[in-house]
Amino acid sequence: MNRLCDVEPRVMDDEMLKLAVGEQGLRDEAGQLAKQEGILFKDVLSLQLDFQNILRIDSLWQFENLRKLQLDNNIIEKIEGLENLTHLVWLDLSFNNIEAIEGLDTLVNLEDLSLFNNRISKINSLDALVKLQVLSLGNNQIDNMMNIIYLRRFKDLRTLSLSGNPVAEAEDYRTLICAYLPDLVYLDFQRIDDHMKELAEMKHRCSVDELKHQESLTRAQLQDEQARWEGLEGHKAAFVEHLNGPFLFDSMYAEDVEGSQLSHLPGVGELVQTYKDKFVIICLNIFEFGLKQQEKRKAELDTFMGCVQEAVQEKQEQGKHKMAKFEEKHLLSLSSLRDESELTNFEIKMAEHSEDITELVNVLMTLEMQLVEQLEETINMFERNIIDLVGLFVESVQSLMAQCRDLENHHHEKLLEIAISTREKILKCELEEDLPDAVRLLFVDKDTIVNAVGASHDIHLLKIDNREDELVTRVNSWCAHLVDKIRKDEIMRNRRRVKEINQYVDHVKSELDSLEYSDLLD
Amino acid sequence: MEVLKEKVEEEEEAERAERAEKMMRPLEVQKEDTTRTQEMLRDLERKLSEIEVSIPEKPSTFTKDAIDTSKLPLSYQSNTPKEEHLLQVADNFSRQYSHLCPDRVPLFLYPVNECKVPKFVSTTIRPTLMPYPELYNWDTCAQFVSDFLSAVPLPDPLKPPSYLYSPTVVLKYQEGNCFDFSTLLCSMLLGAGYDAYCVYGYGSQDLCHMDLTREVCPLTVKPKEMVKEEEKAPPKKYAVKPPRDLTSRFEWEQEIKRQEAVKAEEERRLKQGERLAEQESAKTDPLHGLRVHSWVLVLSGKREVPESFFIDPFTARSYSTQDDHFLGIESLWNHKNYWINMQDCWNCCKDLVFDLGDPVRWEYLLLETDKPLLSLTEEEDDGTNDDDDAENLGKEDEDKSFDMPCSWVEQIEISPEAFETRCPNGKKVMQYKRARLEKWAPHLDNSGLVRRLTTYEDLECTKTLEIKEWFQNREDMLELKHINKVTGLNIDYFKPGHPQALRAHSYTSMQPEMDRVMEFYETARVDGLIKREETPRTMTEHYQGRPDLLSYRHVNFGPRIKKLALNSAESNPRPVVKITERFFRNPVKPADEDVAERVFLILDERIQLRYHCREDHLTASKCEFLWRTEGDSKGNKIIMTPDMCLSFEVEPMEHTKKLLYQYEAMMKLKNEEKLARHQAWESELEVLEILKLREEQEEAHVLTISIYDTKRNEKSKEYREAMERVMHEEHLWQAEAQLDYLAPFLAQLPPGEKLTRWQAVRLKDECLSDFKQRLIDKANLIQARFEKETQELQQQQQWYQENQVTLTPEDEDLYLSYCSQAMFRIRVLEQRLNRHKELAPLKYRALEEKLYKDPRLVELLQVFV
Repeated sequence: MNRLCDVEPRVMDDEMLKLAVGEQGLRDEAGQLAKQEGILFKDVLSLQLDFQNILRIDSLWQFENLRKLQLDNNIIEKIEGLENLTHLVWLDLSFNNIEAIEGLDTLVNLEDLSLFNNRISKINSLDALVKLQVLSLGNNQIDNMMNIIYLRRFKDLRTLSLSGNPVAEAEDYRTLICAYLPDLVYLDFQRIDDHMKELAEMKHRCSVDELKHQESLTRAQLQDEQARWEGLEGHKAAFVEHLNGPFLFDSMYAEDVEGSQLSHLPGVGELVQTYKDKFVIICLNIFEFGLKQQEKRKAELDTFMGCVQEAVQEKQEQGKHKMAKFEEKHLLSLSSLRDESELTNFEIKMAEHSEDITELVNVLMTLEMQLVEQLEETINMFERNIIDLVGLFVESVQSLMAQCRDLENHHHEKLLEIAISTREKILKCELEEDLPDAVRLLFVDKDTIVNAVGASHDIHLLKIDNREDELVTRVNSWCAHLVDKIRKDEIMRNRRRVKEINQYVDHVKSELDSLEYSDLLD
Repeated sequence: MEVLKEKVEEEEEAERAERAEKMMRPLEVQKEDTTRTQEMLRDLERKLSEIEVSIPEKPSTFTKDAIDTSKLPLSYQSNTPKEEHLLQVADNFSRQYSHLCPDRVPLFLYPVNECKVPKFVSTTIRPTLMPYPELYNWDTCAQFVSDFLSAVPLPDPLKPPSYLYSPTVVLKYQEGNCFDFSTLLCSMLLGAGYDAYCVYGYGSQDLCHMDLTREVCPLTVKPKEMVKEEEKAPPKKYAVKPPRDLTSRFEWEQEIKRQEAVKAEEERRLKQGERLAEQESAKTDPLHGLRVHSWVLVLSGKREVPESFFIDPFTARSYSTQDDHFLGIESLWNHKNYWINMQDCWNCCKDLVFDLGDPVRWEYLLLETDKPLLSLTEEEDDGTNDDDDAENLGKEDEDKSFDMPCSWVEQIEISPEAFETRCPNGKKVMQYKRARLEKWAPHLDNSGLVRRLTTYEDLECTKTLEIKEWFQNREDMLELKHINKVTGLNIDYFKPGHPQALRAHSYTSMQPEMDRVMEFYETARVDGLIKREETPRTMTEHYQGRPDLLSYRHVNFGPRIKKLALNSAESNPRPVVKITERFFRNPVKPADEDVAERVFLILDERIQLRYHCREDHLTASKCEFLWRTEGDSKGNKIIMTPDMCLSFEVEPMEHTKKLLYQYEAMMKLKNEEKLARHQAWESELEVLEILKLREEQEEAHVLTISIYDTKRNEKSKEYREAMERVMHEEHLWQAEAQLDYLAPFLAQLPPGEKLTRWQAVRLKDECLSDFKQRLIDKANLIQARFEKETQELQQQQQWYQENQVTLTPEDEDLYLSYCSQAMFRIRVLEQRLNRHKELAPLKYRALEEKLYKDPRLVELLQVFV
């Protein structure tokens, strides 16, 4: 800001970075080694790029493990190109020409952020920086005190500097900040003393309390939402969401124009009400049954997982034991091989040891094969059981749904009866109640009214069928997925183990080979 | 044999003569007696009974003469009418009993006490609850009695004694026979709430002579290791089937059978040998089943005793009622009643039923309202045996309204000193089978020794196996010293609080760099060391709870390099050859970066690392560094080459291949190596220090005194005395302050009546007038003295004026000095008089006010105020 912009901006390119890395690298022997090998950008932990007249941040994507980055005293205008630097802890962007805080959303590990002497007018876009401890925003153009409230979300914030901003000229600037940010320890490079804190608390208690109240309200709301969401998730996992109330029934009538029209007929209101009550009871039955079944399935799954874990653990222990034994032997024979000078003896020992290695491989592989067989059997058993469980669940739900359908049929018959009798009444002009015109229109002839009642019935049945189908398909697909995943996991485990064994054996063999070579060379 | 008998007889007669002459030395005689072999003794006794010479003396150190009966309370020296009545009843009972059961021995009902007064045995029991919490349970109680008293055999092993002393006297002289023991123990147990009874019966020889040489010492018996039955979890639904076992089951079974047979054979042989040896030592007792003994029976029911059992008061052991040592019961009694056993004891006590409410099995002396045990079958028994009872002993009628009088014995008291000293003279020795146990009172031995158990290899106790010594109050917190004489291994156990947090120290010699194991209280140590084992060439340390998660360090030493200079051992530490360190898993780090074991091969300049194993892996990463200090072919110093680091990685990673990474790791390890070497050196130093300290402590063996030990702790004693003095002074002062000015006047009034108003007024007036009189008297007294002084002075002056001329200078001096003294006295008197005049009205008013406020008068005088 205070620097003239007529200096020539430089481009941040690989060359510049390489130079900087090379200059700031290690010294002495380690430095020599580093140079000899070449430094990879992703191994760099800290980088200093000050007074380089950089205009645009660029080419930093390779520095994945960077912890500390200094870009102060440049002419940067926009924060960008830092997305990949997720391990960054310290970022210095002071003395630049930045106007807005942005591009920091991925830097979740950032603890120290300096934006001193820029052109920032608003504090925002810092939500991702949950670990922020030090924030330096002095010499900027922040003029709204409400920006302070935004900083309340940083629970670890201890140091803040805001001097040199328009807000800092306000009379009660210090007390206000102390009141709103009670955990702050240093403000504008000065320690906040207790006296100041007391004063601030006294002065701004009212507004702070109000703020706190609001915050707590929002938090409670959020928590409620969370709880509700979690409950729903639980129900979904049991495939019976929205069955613990009249949701299904309401949805049946939601798209049913005729049904709602027909409810105006005399006697239909009560009919619908009793129908609804019965329907809801069945729904609740399904819901509870679903939850219970879900628990059962979960218990089944847990037992299965526990058993598999145990079996794997046992075999692993055996394998480790064998491995340890072999390791001892291996070390001994290696040292004896090293000491052996005579070629024939060497050959014999070599052969012996190779045999040992083969034996180890055999033992380990046998163990693994045993395990695979055992697990295969167990998995099959589990699959059978879980499919049975799911089948039982589906059957019960279907029978309950059939009850729903029966209810609907029953209701339909009754409704039809009432409709026909009403029509007769209308024909005879005996109807006392006034009916809306739309409803009256239905009674122009018998077919219309029968059709209307039928349509309503069809819609209801469709809804029930849909719900049932959804439940059944979902539970079946869950079951299939589960078994599939278990099998896949098992295969993966097996592959990993085999790979591990092979890798180890290769290593041991290569050790032997190297001995052989060195021997030959000697 | 004949000759021997005669000889014995002669000896015995001679001895008796000697005894008659020298009644002064019964102690010595008794000592001789006891040293004689058992047979001889028995022979003697039989002879004695044949000769029918009344034996005047009791083989007891405290004879009647030794007891000062005059100082005993009256209840000891005479009988109350009730007791007389009881004695009559008992006499009647015993006569009837002897008439009805002529074949049974007379009852033990009313032996004489130390004052030669016959006392009923039940009244000799004085139930007392001791103020020591340690004496609340039967086992500790019995242990105390057996420790506190020294046992004296019965004068006649076939008869109960003719006397029974009170427990207080027994406690005082710390000596007694089995009846004294059981009476005391029974008193204490009854006081503690047990349902206890003294038993008069027959015991085995070992029991009567307190011979434990055939018993295994309870301290040597190792507590049986509770074999934890591993709860076999029910096979889970999805538990995998075990791989098929292809070994032959038959062969396995045969093998097991064969091994078992061999084992059984061996065991049998061993046992047989032992039994033979034992039988040899245990010769059959000709008086088996006739030896009188007394012990304590505790019945189930009270104090949550699940099953009735016997306690032998001599040894404080408990036995089941079926035990072989107890051969029969004549009678038993507690402080309330007396029962005679009517059951046959042909099978020792095994068939006895301790249902004291059953009158067929147990004949009682007094008809009690609450029979201790009422069995369900009692009604039947009563029905069938009603007439039997009536004709047996028609005593119910006269006894119906009679119950046991109170005990004539004074309250049993044990002083804290006596309680702490426990054994007579604070020392006791017990001989067990292949073991000897010695006990000392705390603070008796200046090394703090309280118990020593010596275990022997053979029955004759000649070859020592091991010695265990228990200590108390040691400043170095030594608790137990275990010396194995065979292997030469010493193990010292310490209580928490040793300066170096030592828990146990086992060693064969105190020289450094030898085999030893030191265990520590790891929570008390900063470095979390649990155990340090040493052999001449190695040192192994185990750790727990360290922030760096080190769990184990093993150091191998090489032979000491001889230096030319004569250095001490400390400045010439042994060279370290190899250091192995193991670490616990650090859950924060990934397994591939968490070192499990590192080995510094110092001579080879090699470092081996082994990492922790990943959770689902069999293999762990390994790494080996070896560096070369020599330069390369061109003479340049080699920093790092790829062959200096050999590694195996479970999951190869890129950055570990880099030389820089390896170089840094190696540098770090080199530093660690230095540290580890330093640690090893420090550990060695610590061992030396501990050894030195132990030696010093062994020599000094300072004892600590608990601050609660008010008698021994000088400081606390002083403090307490000072406190007491202060208290006493305060008390005196308070007594003075509470001097009642109304007391003399109140005393004139009739006592115990409420004051009337008139009386109160008169009281007040009297008090005031009395005080006035006193004030006036005092004034008069001062006035009189004043006048007397002035008069004397005037006389002197007169005399001086008359004889002024003839006076010598000395006389004149005398006169002058007298004058000045007299003037001084007069002045003082004058001042006192004036002061009195000033104060008297004030004092008078003060008293008046006080009287108005006096709580006794305030109500009555209020009207006039």
